[in-house]
Amino acid sequence: MAEAIMLDPDVGFIKEVGKLGGGDLKKCYQCATCSVVCPISPENKPFPRKEMIAASWGLKDKVLASQDIWLCHNCGDCTTRCPRGAKPGDVLGAIRAYAVADYAGFKKLGLMVRDPKKLPLLLAIPAVIFLVAGFLSNLVGLNWLNFAPQGGHALWQADYLNNYLVDIIMIPTFFFAVGVFALGLKRFVAAMHANALAEGKSHRQKIDPAGMIQALIRIVPTIIKHQKFNECTENRERSTAHMLVLFSFVGLFIVTNCFFFAEWVLHIEGPYSQFNPVKWLGNIAGIALVVGSLLMIKNRLAKKTSVSSYWDWYLVWLVFALGLTGMLTQVLRLGGLYGLSAVVYFAHIIAIWCLFAYTPFSKLAHLIYRTTAMAYAEYSGRGFK
Amino acid sequence: MDKKYGVYICTGCGIGEALDIEALKGVAEEEGLPVQVHETFCSPAGVDVLKKDIKDKGINTLVLAACSRRVMFDVFRFDGCIVDRVNLREGVVWSHPRSQFPVLAEDEKDDGVHFDRVQMMAEDYLRMGMARVEKVSLPEPFKLDTLSRRILVIGGGLTGISAAIDAAKAGYEVTLVEKAGALGGHAATWRKQLPLGWPYAATTAPMLQDKIRELESHSGISVRLNTLVARIAGQPGEFTVTFKKPGEKTEFDVPFPLPDDMKVDANGKELDVETLRAAYLKFNEGRKDILTLDPNGEKFGAVILAAGWRPYKPTTDEFAHLGFGALPDVVTNAQFETMAKAGKITCPSDGRAAKSVVFIQSPGKGDDADFDYAGSVTSLVALKQATYVREDYPEDGKAFVFYQHMRTPGLQENFYKSIQQDTGIFLTKGEVVSVSPNGRGLVVTADNTLLGERVQVKADLVVLATGMVPATKDDPVVNLAYRQGPAFRDIGLFKGYCDSNFICFPYETQRTGIYAAGAVRRSMTVEECIEDASGAALKAIQCLESTNRGCAVHPRSGDLTYPDFFFQRCTQCKRCTEECPFGALDDDERGTPKPNPTRCRRCGTCMGACPERIIGFADYNIDSIGSMVKAVKVPSADDYEEPPMRILGLVCENDAYPTLDIAGLNRLSYSADVRLIPVRCLGSVNVIWIKDALSQGMDGVFLLGCKHGDDYQCHFVKGSELASIRMKKIGEALSSLALETERVAQFEVAIDEFDKVPSIINTFVESVEALGPNPFKGF
Repeated sequence: MAEAIMLDPDVGFIKEVGKLGGGDLKKCYQCATCSVVCPISPENKPFPRKEMIAASWGLKDKVLASQDIWLCHNCGDCTTRCPRGAKPGDVLGAIRAYAVADYAGFKKLGLMVRDPKKLPLLLAIPAVIFLVAGFLSNLVGLNWLNFAPQGGHALWQADYLNNYLVDIIMIPTFFFAVGVFALGLKRFVAAMHANALAEGKSHRQKIDPAGMIQALIRIVPTIIKHQKFNECTENRERSTAHMLVLFSFVGLFIVTNCFFFAEWVLHIEGPYSQFNPVKWLGNIAGIALVVGSLLMIKNRLAKKTSVSSYWDWYLVWLVFALGLTGMLTQVLRLGGLYGLSAVVYFAHIIAIWCLFAYTPFSKLAHLIYRTTAMAYAEYSGRGFK
Repeated sequence: MDKKYGVYICTGCGIGEALDIEALKGVAEEEGLPVQVHETFCSPAGVDVLKKDIKDKGINTLVLAACSRRVMFDVFRFDGCIVDRVNLREGVVWSHPRSQFPVLAEDEKDDGVHFDRVQMMAEDYLRMGMARVEKVSLPEPFKLDTLSRRILVIGGGLTGISAAIDAAKAGYEVTLVEKAGALGGHAATWRKQLPLGWPYAATTAPMLQDKIRELESHSGISVRLNTLVARIAGQPGEFTVTFKKPGEKTEFDVPFPLPDDMKVDANGKELDVETLRAAYLKFNEGRKDILTLDPNGEKFGAVILAAGWRPYKPTTDEFAHLGFGALPDVVTNAQFETMAKAGKITCPSDGRAAKSVVFIQSPGKGDDADFDYAGSVTSLVALKQATYVREDYPEDGKAFVFYQHMRTPGLQENFYKSIQQDTGIFLTKGEVVSVSPNGRGLVVTADNTLLGERVQVKADLVVLATGMVPATKDDPVVNLAYRQGPAFRDIGLFKGYCDSNFICFPYETQRTGIYAAGAVRRSMTVEECIEDASGAALKAIQCLESTNRGCAVHPRSGDLTYPDFFFQRCTQCKRCTEECPFGALDDDERGTPKPNPTRCRRCGTCMGACPERIIGFADYNIDSIGSMVKAVKVPSADDYEEPPMRILGLVCENDAYPTLDIAGLNRLSYSADVRLIPVRCLGSVNVIWIKDALSQGMDGVFLLGCKHGDDYQCHFVKGSELASIRMKKIGEALSSLALETERVAQFEVAIDEFDKVPSIINTFVESVEALGPNPFKGF
């Protein structure tokens, strides 16, 4: 007989999950229809039935340590079929929202990202940082912030907000996010492994990094092809939008790195020619990002059966804003409206900074946690290819 | 009455096409009876033919060969006439289609080799019908000289109060007796009640006082507190009831039958009749015999038993693994309710606040059974009591419910749903294995929960969902002056609950005229008790009014016959008294049965039991069925080279006969060599019919009745079981005649097993064919 586990319900957790979109959690009566209809749940210890009762009992640590909350792709098949209207899909989404802040550390920041009232403050932070840094650069004569640049040639946004200024702020922000993720991932993997061993979800007593990497490589095609999304019946159209956004981010990441290399190593100044293939990629990815995020917004608005919380909206609107301001900056510049282009560019920079800095605390963190959970499930023999 | 016979053959519904109607007519004409044929006797024109014969020709005994008697019974009911329905449609042509039982070719007729089984069957049934009507008469109802319409309600709890109000509202005079000094029973001891109406979402304030006020507003109800029933003597419509104070001894306290261990001597040998009688009298010294009526007793027509329940008292160490008895903070749900009624919930051990309370619904120990006498009500009560914890400690109170079954029937599901929403209430299925001390508190360990294999919860207080023991478990309560004893007969299935059949006949006990309601029937919520009270009140009224008309109350509602005894030939064997499932017979000191017709349900079990065959009904008796058996033509080797078998089936009319009709309706066929006779109950089957059948050369006999045992379906509780005991005995008689015991068999069938019944019959016929013909054939 397994060792007894002492249960100590955390009522605060139940209430918080409710606020994050899992308000119907306690309607569950454990029929397990959800686990049966879930197209992607593994056969060994299927979800989300057990997560539902553990959450409704307020067993926070158990739920947050479960890989299963990340294996879920929130396709909504369970929510549609639930005979009690407990919306397991939304409950797992809410638990993930809670889990992200819990893993990441910087508790206060995590709670702010979840709180719609704190949004203006969160947006103000990068605005202030860039402006203050700009003024400081002007004081020391670098003049990276220029409200009325002069020049014979056509202007571009770097004339207003110098690329060096942007990069000097963005690079540490990026590494801050990476650091937060690293710490969060460490906590998450340790908890997930302990939980998997306790619940018989793993064949492996120890995590072997090489094995994990091999498993990760095995699941990459699954992620790229959005195979799990396509197994869903309820919400399959989401797959297209998600794919557009994911690939546009990949594209933009490549583009950014290329131009970063061009700027800092080759010292080639922008704006780059429209005939440059990197520019093509950037434009295609930018359009895809706008279209993908718009589709996401449309899908969410049309979907009445599941909950879209602030936590969900924050990210899709941010991504949309990011894409839109990026494309608009270019269009306005090409149209000769340099001043307006610079203003939009400033908004674009704020959006990028938010994306970087708040990613470990936002829904986008699933990029790391879900990938890790899928790799671990694959590695530990539960199978999630 | 002078019988004037008429035979009527309907050719509708395929009868005319399948049968040789001329030959069938010949069967009646042979007996000199007038025959009419019509293509649809159930049509207005057909009924007119019958009515015209009744009016013009004075026909009063009709043999109607058409459809089953279970259909068109109202169309073919003619006042003052005996009507026998020969079942040619479902019983012959539908269940024996010509595609499987072809008609004879011209050259096959009368060749001494070929015969038409279906035609033979129809002709036999017609002969049997004609034989029966000769032996039956029109019933004359049994009417009491004086009938009391007063209703006695035993028990002054919510059920009794509701029943009294309902009966009074219907215009009946009611006396309600309560053993305690105040009305209300258990309902007076609760903090809150389960939801009583839409939306069934929350507990409500107790409504007992409203009910008591309503009771007091009825002038037709008299209430007697501190009162017990010493005895109820007599029969429905004229019960004589003696009341007494609690603890009082009176000469009309009911005598008890001798306990089994006093019926034998020191060596375990059964005592002889004289000694038994002396022992019985000594055992009941100072108590009048059941047949002596209390001259000061009060008359009642019917009784509603609402004696309620008591909390289950665990024996020492019964739930030692749950700490009950050893740990003061482990209590029963009844104790918890008392604590909750008194004030905030605290621990009995040291009076500290009980903020974590675990409710245990099943005692565990390897099976998933709930506590004895528990039910949906104990599930609901756990949910209700969980809300007390949350009421008393809204900030940090936690209630845990470990259940094997969470039963919230009907709209009480809404209550469950609303309880689920409380963030401080936690529910899981699981088997609780132990409750053990943990510092000042307790720790509850459970296996196989929805949360994992083995879990623990810390508790301040643990509540066991023990059950509601019916009052009739400890004490007869009704104290009937019946020879079978003062209590409801314990058939070993109901753990002291007093129904005659939970599903089919709610409220009806095994004693006609006594109707049970509320927790004495099963553990119930207040809502269910109130509904139950209405049901029992209506049953009591049905009993009074049926008794007034001289007909059976239930399940043969409206039956005007009753058992008639030919006492000159009675040998005082007491079998009828002992075997009557309803205690209708009280024998006197010589053992002669005293019938109480209004207690009787007309099942005929006494008739089946009587070895002297002196019991019968106007339209159903040893002779009427015996004559039907003898009317069957048994072909022998003199008639045909290979004569067909003849097998008699005695079929219970409550479930088995309808099953056969449904089989016919579905065109399922079975052997055409059987001849079926419906009987009131297999309990009414007298073995003489079987002997008659075999001695006239029939090759086998089967009884087809209801299931018996734990999930018995017998309308008369014991009929099919008694029949199976009698069948065992007849086996011995058969072997003494050198007849194979396999020629007689009994089968069980449920009313919905129409698809199985043909193969039951065919298998038996094949097994008899394998034995070969009855050696007595042709003698």
